[in-house]
Amino acid sequence: MSAPTDRDLILRARRGDAKADAFGELVTRYQVSVFNVCYRILHERAEAEDMAQESFMRAYERLNTFDLEREFGPWVRRVAANLCLNYLESRKATTQFDEERDADKGQQPEAVTQNRERSERIRQALASLPPHYRVVVELRHYQEMSYDEIAAELSIPLSDVKSHLFRARKILSEKIHAPD
Amino acid sequence: MHLTEEELNEYLDNEIQDREPIELHLSSCAECAARLAVLQALFAEIESLPELDLTRSIAARFAPSLSLPAQLPRWLTLTAILQAALALVAIILAAPVVMDLFPVIQTPSLTDIFVQIQSQWTAWHGILSNFQLPSLPEIPVFEFSSLILALILVGVSMLWLIGNGLLLRNHIK
Repeated sequence: MSAPTDRDLILRARRGDAKADAFGELVTRYQVSVFNVCYRILHERAEAEDMAQESFMRAYERLNTFDLEREFGPWVRRVAANLCLNYLESRKATTQFDEERDADKGQQPEAVTQNRERSERIRQALASLPPHYRVVVELRHYQEMSYDEIAAELSIPLSDVKSHLFRARKILSEKIHAPD
Repeated sequence: MHLTEEELNEYLDNEIQDREPIELHLSSCAECAARLAVLQALFAEIESLPELDLTRSIAARFAPSLSLPAQLPRWLTLTAILQAALALVAIILAAPVVMDLFPVIQTPSLTDIFVQIQSQWTAWHGILSNFQLPSLPEIPVFEFSSLILALILVGVSMLWLIGNGLLLRNHIK
C-alpha cells in the first residue's frame, strides 16, 4: 500500500484522527526543511528549532482553512519564514553564531573541513544581512518564489523586493569573497 | 552600453519576459558575460548550502491526542442535532400533560394565593394518593399511547446520556 498523500493526512488531521497521528506524520515529512528555513534566517539552532515547532503549531491552527489545492510543504515553509522575520524584528538583531558548528573541525578530512568552512562563510554572510533582506533571499533562493509571490507574501511593494534582493546579493558577494 | 545589475539579476531570476535582447548582448559583450558568470556563481554558492539535521524530532513534540479546536467529528455533530430535535419533540408532546397538571393561577392577592396553594395542595394530595400514569390528551394529528410516550422519553434520555458521555470522553482524551 502506498504512503498517504499530504492531502490525505490533512483531511485525517482535520477529522481529529488522533490514533493515526496524521499531523505528526506531516511534521515528520517537513520538519527538516522547515527547521532549515528557520536556521538560515535565525542562525541559531535552539531558536530555529523553537521557531520550526511554532511554525507547525501555526499551521495546525490554520489547518481547517488551508486550501487543499495548495502544497503543504511550501506553505508551511512560508509560514516559518514569516514567523522568523517577525521574531527578528521583535528582538534586537545579534550576530552571535552557533558554537557547535565550529566544534571538532580538526578531526575532519581536509575536503570536509573546506566544505564546512565554505558553508559557514555563507551562513555568516546570510546572518549579517538585515532581517528583510535575509527573508527575501530565503524566499527567492531556497523557496524559489517569484518576485510577485514574495511581494504578496511579505506585503511589500515589488520595487522593495527587487532592491532588497539585489542589495542582499551584493552584500553576500562581498562577505563570501572577502579575504580572510 | 552594458547591461545593468538589475537586468542581470532579473535575467537570472527568470523575471524578464523578453530575454532575446539580453542574450544577444551577452553573446557579443565579454564584460557583461563575465559579470553574469560571477553572479551565476554566487547563486550557486548561496544555493549550495547543505541542509542540517535536527538534534531532536519536532514531530515527537506533537502529542497524538492534539485535537483541532472547534472541530467535532461529523457523526458527533449529527448526534447532537438529533438529540436537540428529539428533546424538542418530547417537550411538545409533554406540554399538554404538564399544562393539565399545572392549572393557571389568576388571582394576585395574598389571600387568593393562600387559598390557591391550599386547594393545590389538596389537589396534589389527591393526585399523589391516586397516582397513575396520566392518559394522553387528544392530539389533532398524532395519537400516542402512554407506552410510546414513555419509550420516546427513555430513548431521548439514553441518546442524551450517550452523546454527553462521548463528548466527555473526547474532551478527556
